[in-house]
Formats: sequence, C-alpha cells, structure tokens
Amino acid sequence: MKNSSNDRQPETQPGVASAEEGLVILDGPDGVAVTMTAAAAAETGANLLEAACVAQKQIETRPSPEAQ
Amino acid sequence: MFTDRFLRNRRNVSLSPDERGCLEDAVSEVRTIEPRRSLVKAGDALEHSTLLIDGIMSRHIDDRNGLRQLVAIHVPGDFVDLHAYPLKTLDHDLATMTTAKVGLVPHQKLDHIIAQRPQLGRKLWYATLLDAAIHRAWLFRLGRLTAVGRVAHFLCETNARLKAVGLSDGQQFPLALTQTDISEICGLTHIHVNRVMRQLREEGLCIFRSSVVEVLDPSGLAARGQFDPAYLYIDQ
Repeated sequence: MKNSSNDRQPETQPGVASAEEGLVILDGPDGVAVTMTAAAAAETGANLLEAACVAQKQIETRPSPEAQ
Repeated sequence: MFTDRFLRNRRNVSLSPDERGCLEDAVSEVRTIEPRRSLVKAGDALEHSTLLIDGIMSRHIDDRNGLRQLVAIHVPGDFVDLHAYPLKTLDHDLATMTTAKVGLVPHQKLDHIIAQRPQLGRKLWYATLLDAAIHRAWLFRLGRLTAVGRVAHFLCETNARLKAVGLSDGQQFPLALTQTDISEICGLTHIHVNRVMRQLREEGLCIFRSSVVEVLDPSGLAARGQFDPAYLYIDQ
C-alpha cells in the first residue's frame, strides 16, 4: 500500500496579492490566506525581497556537486 | 419530538422509535437562548449535555488576547457537548450564534441509558465520532485549502449537514451567520470573505444574501472546495 507523503516542498508558484477596501489580501501559495494593512504589506514585501536576494546569493555560492 | 433530528439520515445507524422515545424522556429541560450568549466556559464542571433543537451553536477557544477561534459549529439535531458526559468538563467554550432552542440531558440519565440500553449508548458514541470526523475535515480545510476553497468547503458541508436533518433542499438553505462568523470559521478576515463571496457569485457557484445561501452549481461548488461528504456519514 502506497503511503501518502506529507513532505511539504517549497512553493514554486507565487502568491497573489490584491487590494480590497484599503487592505492587502494575499491568496496563496498553497492555502496561505492573509489580510494586511497597506503598511504591513509594504514591509512584508520589502522583507520578502531582501530574503529572496539572500537566498539567491546562497544558491549562487553553493558548491556544485562536482566540486565535492 | 426534540430528538427527531438526532442522527437522522446517518449511515449505519438509526434510532428505533423506542430508542428515540427513551432519549426524548431523558431531556429534562428545554430552553430558548438568545444569540451570542455563552453557555459553557472551558473548565466548567458539567452535569448535563446539550441537544441542539433549533438554531446554530459554536464551540470556540480564545487566545491569550481574547480573540476567538471557532473550532466547530453545530446545527439542529447535534448533541453539542455529548463528550462532556465522560469528560465532565470541556476544553473549549460553547455559545449560541443565533437564537437557539436546546434540550438539556442530565448525565444521570445518560448513565441510565448506557447501563440499560447499550445499543443506544453505542449510538451516542457514534455521534461523538461524527464530531471528530468534522474536526478532521476542519483541520484539512484550514491547513490545505485556499481562501475560496475554505469558504466553498464550509458552505458545502453546512448544506449537507442541514439537508440530512431536513433543513436544506440541497439548492438553498438558511444560514443566519455573518460574514465575520464565516471568516472566523475559515481562518480569514471578513474582508477576505467578502471578496470570496463575490468571487463565488461571479463564478456562478453560490449566492449568500439575507442569511440564505443559494447553491447555483452544487458540483462546481464542491469541486471548488474539494468537498467530499463521505466524512459526514450521511445516508444517501
């Protein structure tokens, strides 16, 4: 019998942000459902961009498998 | 009969007229309670269980800031806190969401039922297991579904539960809850629920207006909410 897996993988699809009555709604990915004030959304966006830059550098500086 | 809707149309279980009469006799008091009233607080010592005859009730847990998280709602025919019989206390609060008519069943009477009528006792146990199945589905809903999916799933579930007790025809059902209530149930803000309801309307799936849900496309709404009624053990 095949066992179901609950190994959550990193999301490859972006969430969708929209504005509603002066607030920001984030739908997704994968069940994320958040409403934020415009200020909180702006700061979250900035934090996400910063973390994405760091993550990208980590990918670029990761040793390649051949080098190990 | 106050107990007429209890376990009505459920798979693998049915109450005989005699059993239903026995349960009816166990109801010691019937009360009508105003909306948004607390009945039981977590930790209260309990000596009776509550059968919901009419209206909607909720179970909820408050966080340290007093913000409420709904962990269940109950529809007519449900025993809201049958699990309080063996546990003697609850780990959550109970409240009405609408005007509610309830029947109180003293635990002493449940003692008698369990001792004298084990088959009926087994059916009471079945009722608590239905609660557990719904809890699992709520966990799935909150953990896995998108905002639209959560609301669609909740509406499908409520439609099915009410249909089982004769309070929905499958196409339309009363739902005297606010969008804020639905937002608590679905782990969303009311703004988000408002947008989701608009989306469901624009997609031709359902309309929620004036405390009535009109299901325009039952299979479409079920697909949107990944809803499979199997966990409700309804006799189709």
